[in-house]
Amino acid sequence: MVIFGLLVIVLAALAALITGTSTDGRRLDPADSTLTGSKALAQILRQRGVRIERVSTIDDVVRLDGPGTQLLVSGSSFLSLDEITSLSRAQADLLVVGPVRGLSTLAPGITATSEAAVRSREPRCDLPAAVHAGNAYLGGAAFTVPARSTGCYPGADGPSLVRSSGSRTVTVVGDGGFMTNQRLAEDGNAALAVNLAGARPVLIWLVPPDASQVIPGSGQATLGELIPVGVPWAVLQLVIALLVVAFWRGRRLGPVVVERLPVVVRAAETAEGRGRLYRARRARDRASATLRAACVSRLTPRLGLSGDATPDQIIAATALRSGQDAVWVRSVLYGLIPADDAGLVALAGHLDTLERQVREP
Amino acid sequence: MALTGRAGLITALGAAGVLFAPRPGYAVLGLLMLLAALVVVDLLLAGGVRPLRFQRGGERLVRLGESVTVELIAENPGRRRVRGTLRDAWPPSAGAGPRHLRLDVPAGERRRLVTTLTPSRRGDREAVTITVRSLGPLGLAARQGSHRVPWTVRVLPPFLSRKHLPAKLSKLRELEGRHPALVRGQGTEFDSLREYVVGDDVRSIDWRASARRADVVVRTWRPERDRRVLIVLDTGRTAAGRVGTSPIPLPPEPDRHAPASLLPPAGEPDRHLTASRLPPAVRPARPANAIPAGWPRLDWSMDAALLLSALATRAGDRVDFLAHDRAVRAWMSGGSRTDSLSALVNVMAPIEAELVEADSASMVAAILARAKRRCLVVLLTDLNPAAMDEGLLPVLPQLASRHVVLVAAVADPRVAEMASGRGTAEQVYDAAAAEHLRGERARLTARLRRHGAAVVDALPDDLAPALADAYLALKAAGRL
Repeated sequence: MVIFGLLVIVLAALAALITGTSTDGRRLDPADSTLTGSKALAQILRQRGVRIERVSTIDDVVRLDGPGTQLLVSGSSFLSLDEITSLSRAQADLLVVGPVRGLSTLAPGITATSEAAVRSREPRCDLPAAVHAGNAYLGGAAFTVPARSTGCYPGADGPSLVRSSGSRTVTVVGDGGFMTNQRLAEDGNAALAVNLAGARPVLIWLVPPDASQVIPGSGQATLGELIPVGVPWAVLQLVIALLVVAFWRGRRLGPVVVERLPVVVRAAETAEGRGRLYRARRARDRASATLRAACVSRLTPRLGLSGDATPDQIIAATALRSGQDAVWVRSVLYGLIPADDAGLVALAGHLDTLERQVREP
Repeated sequence: MALTGRAGLITALGAAGVLFAPRPGYAVLGLLMLLAALVVVDLLLAGGVRPLRFQRGGERLVRLGESVTVELIAENPGRRRVRGTLRDAWPPSAGAGPRHLRLDVPAGERRRLVTTLTPSRRGDREAVTITVRSLGPLGLAARQGSHRVPWTVRVLPPFLSRKHLPAKLSKLRELEGRHPALVRGQGTEFDSLREYVVGDDVRSIDWRASARRADVVVRTWRPERDRRVLIVLDTGRTAAGRVGTSPIPLPPEPDRHAPASLLPPAGEPDRHLTASRLPPAVRPARPANAIPAGWPRLDWSMDAALLLSALATRAGDRVDFLAHDRAVRAWMSGGSRTDSLSALVNVMAPIEAELVEADSASMVAAILARAKRRCLVVLLTDLNPAAMDEGLLPVLPQLASRHVVLVAAVADPRVAEMASGRGTAEQVYDAAAAEHLRGERARLTARLRRHGAAVVDALPDDLAPALADAYLALKAAGRL
């Protein structure tokens, strides 16, 4: 059973290790420090004085919306069409990164025509943000360029970055790879990202709502959230196993046999109890009287006296036989009650001595 | 129904599967259903327990301290093989072993199983239940059921004092004159007349008989025969007190209760009274400094009674036996001489000390009702002043006027040990208490002797030979 238990523990630990080291991050999330996150960019922007508002609901966007703000949308699959429409009515500038549903609503006139490989591209346009940044890691999609718009980083089919300036500036980028923690340090990615995202003092960064309000690797996850899904179920299974084992061990082979047992009482307990009572009350009077009486009752037959001999006769006979002083014999056999326990112990010793001397004169 | 460890193992191993399963919830459910299905299949395929038939055989009597085997024949009339474990349950003090027996009976066959009993105390031990757990072929689940197959093993008193019997018998032969001993073989009972030969004691010449014949005839004498000995065993509360060290090794006792204080309530030095108020099944826990509890006075008394009975039977006397506390517990009238000892042992076996004060008046009445002729009444009791003052002493003259009374009691070696304690104040206090008890006992003995009863007060191991000696002395003196 022990080996088996260890086996289960090892398996569970192994499984937890394998499934627990997940590298899945939240792509382009300013709070995510994994390779696909964008925490590095967010930090650079903050150092440059840009206030970043990480939001995930339209209500927050509407609340923060206003002149001097820019809205970054890197995915809209979590939004309804109505919400996308309300985004398109916002006053803030718009930066759309990567393939986004409802692009036609958000950026009227800009459509993705074809796929484009993501690679390092040259700006080839006069957009200052792109020109200053230089080469960047872009691609993803080739866009049509409507009137009064600028297209940059072109591929074979069209540019992968389009900026249209009207009542609000709308910038569409085909792929967000250059903004990730992984790619930010390459080429002019960082410069491009900062130029695009840091164009306004306030950046409203719209991210998908958190499934658990916690991002792996952010250091805020509790232990429970880090445990893989299978573990509670495995624990449940172990609980079932425990119940089965309990039933196995608990099922008795036949009824308990009851037996009427005799009492166990040592006969000497009466005497022992009396001894404890003497002890508890320090009953030296009774104890000394009993010891003396017992000694006398043993001495009299040895001295050839009858049971009704007087104390004087006994003392005289004892003194004669033992060779002890009669006064001492009297004090031992018929003397005072010992004043303390030591006296009682001494008296018992004297009685023994006297008895021995009578026995072996 | 019962599950096995294998079922638990499978369920636990399933946990590893659940951990890696893509849908763990369903995996748990699936495993549970799988287990249930396997268990049901196993139960259906397991051999039936109910149709099993059992028969018992073997010994019915055992002497305490010895082992005995009881066999159990299991017959399987069903169509499936019954494989698993069997527990032949006996009361704990029967010392049954092994606890579990392997059982494997193919369909239509029978198997013999043997249980060894090593009882740890006297009395009747009845088999309780036989429980069979029949495993299924997968070994996951088992059917379980019980059968009652009555059997009783009577645990007889061990008669440890039989080692003294040869010595006492040779003493008896000396009395009878059959032994080539220095003691002249003269008894007190008239045996027969024979012709005078030179060397016979002239005082034994029967002049009346000589006058009828031409020859001188002497009377011959022999020890008394055909006397009656009535052994009375006091089974009251004082017989329950344990004395000395048990000659039978006790089984290791799982002492689950915390050792409670054994101090009697203040003002009540008599521990027996406290014990008598407890229900019989409650055992007072032993003190922490556990001195082995010893053997009940009752058992020591029985041992002495057995030696006396064996000796008296050989001496040609008839032995009756009475056990009494408030009522007659056992009565055996000595019939044929050959089997009176085994009959006595059988009668004694189930007697236990009752936790009630013995009723001496009714005991004396029972003795007088049963013993019409003059006989030797051997009273095996305890010299307990509190019990004797109100019990035996007032009615003793009534008994002693019609019978010869011999009171035999077991002295407690622990009291002697306590009485010799010196050194610390505690030991001296204990010694005083022990001396107090001994003094009371001595005074009681003196009073009994004044009433005309002989008294034997001996340590447990010496009681049986001392009682036998007292009997022989009475016989030699012709007082029976």
